[in-house]
Amino acid sequence: MAALTVCSDAFTTLGRAQAKALGQPDLPLAVIPHPFGLRSRDEVRAIAETCAADIVRLVGEGSVR
Amino acid sequence: MSLASNKVPEAAPLVEMPDDLEAVNRLFQERRWGDGLPIVPPTEARVEAMLAGTRRRRHDVIAHIAPGFGAATVERVAINAVMAGCQPEYLAALLAALDAVTDERFNLQAIQATTNPAAVWLIFNGPVARHLGINARFNCLGQGAWANATIGRALRLVLQNIGGALPGDMDRATHGQPGKFTFCCAENEPESPWAPLHVDRGFAPEASTVTVVGASGTLNMNTHAKDADDLIRAIADSMAFAASNDYWLGGQPWLILSPEHAQVLHRDGLSKQEVRVRLWRESRMAAGRMAQKDLERTRISRRAELGDIEVSTLLPISRTPEDIEFIVAGGPGTHSVYVPSFGDTRAVTRAIE
Repeated sequence: MAALTVCSDAFTTLGRAQAKALGQPDLPLAVIPHPFGLRSRDEVRAIAETCAADIVRLVGEGSVR
Repeated sequence: MSLASNKVPEAAPLVEMPDDLEAVNRLFQERRWGDGLPIVPPTEARVEAMLAGTRRRRHDVIAHIAPGFGAATVERVAINAVMAGCQPEYLAALLAALDAVTDERFNLQAIQATTNPAAVWLIFNGPVARHLGINARFNCLGQGAWANATIGRALRLVLQNIGGALPGDMDRATHGQPGKFTFCCAENEPESPWAPLHVDRGFAPEASTVTVVGASGTLNMNTHAKDADDLIRAIADSMAFAASNDYWLGGQPWLILSPEHAQVLHRDGLSKQEVRVRLWRESRMAAGRMAQKDLERTRISRRAELGDIEVSTLLPISRTPEDIEFIVAGGPGTHSVYVPSFGDTRAVTRAIE
């Protein structure tokens, strides 16, 4: 079963280290920019669309592996 | 000189080092094996001496420590205790504290990795406090007592070196707090008018225990209030602040009452439970004091408990009055301390062998 984590770029160090510690060093991370607080609705929508495309790509890569 | 380090789960390997304190500390600094203060080199002889402080077997695994889930063997804990400057007789207390923080109710994973400044506050009760010289009186959260300084420091080194919570890597604290170096005291049981914490938590008075608290910081409350109503009001008002994890999550806030404040409450006839109930009622905060975004997340996080939350809803700081916890500690003076919690955590108490 494919699995991945969505993670903001300020937390990728933690995300990768955590995945490794839990025995999933190759867990794909879909990375979004940090923080969200001051972004407009349009900016958030653009980030979400990019992230959705990343998720589709990463899940596809995972299913091939 | 041969130093024991803690890179493998079973026996710690020996690392050859120059017999020079400055060189050893430089190497520990380079490898990020410390907290920023000089360490005592954990030589084989010092680690052997430390291990005499427990009956636990050298390679027993006490816990796997989040977020890196390194195996905390007795030996590896002893290595960190040496580094922190602990006496061998402190080791059993440190092992009990480690067992407590890895209880799932404490939520160590979140406390280790959060952006919140959450630190582990260690509270000792029973004869162990006197035996180890853990300060419960003047300046009990400050400098000066070897046990307070080094037991708390040793736990931090264990959490960082074995648990993998290095600042900026897996420890994501935005600021952290000074309590992440050490945060350790005993309850001032002789000067408390009530039963001590460990008895409230089901232990015999003669038992020695450690209680671990996920603490976001400390706020001093200086008030000359001389009657219970006035004192409760001043403390409750100090507990309520808009950007609090406790109000957002329904947490477990703590208080350290000075003996003088405890006497005011006791003299006016309040039991511990009555203090809790009064504080719980009087610290309720209008939800509209929160930032709009925080109110929105509180509406989600506390919906099951409180139903629909309006701007005018009075939010209790915790789910029940019993979630407000306190000890009596400190020396003479009209100061008490508010210890807001990380919120998504519950204190855990363990007996010390």
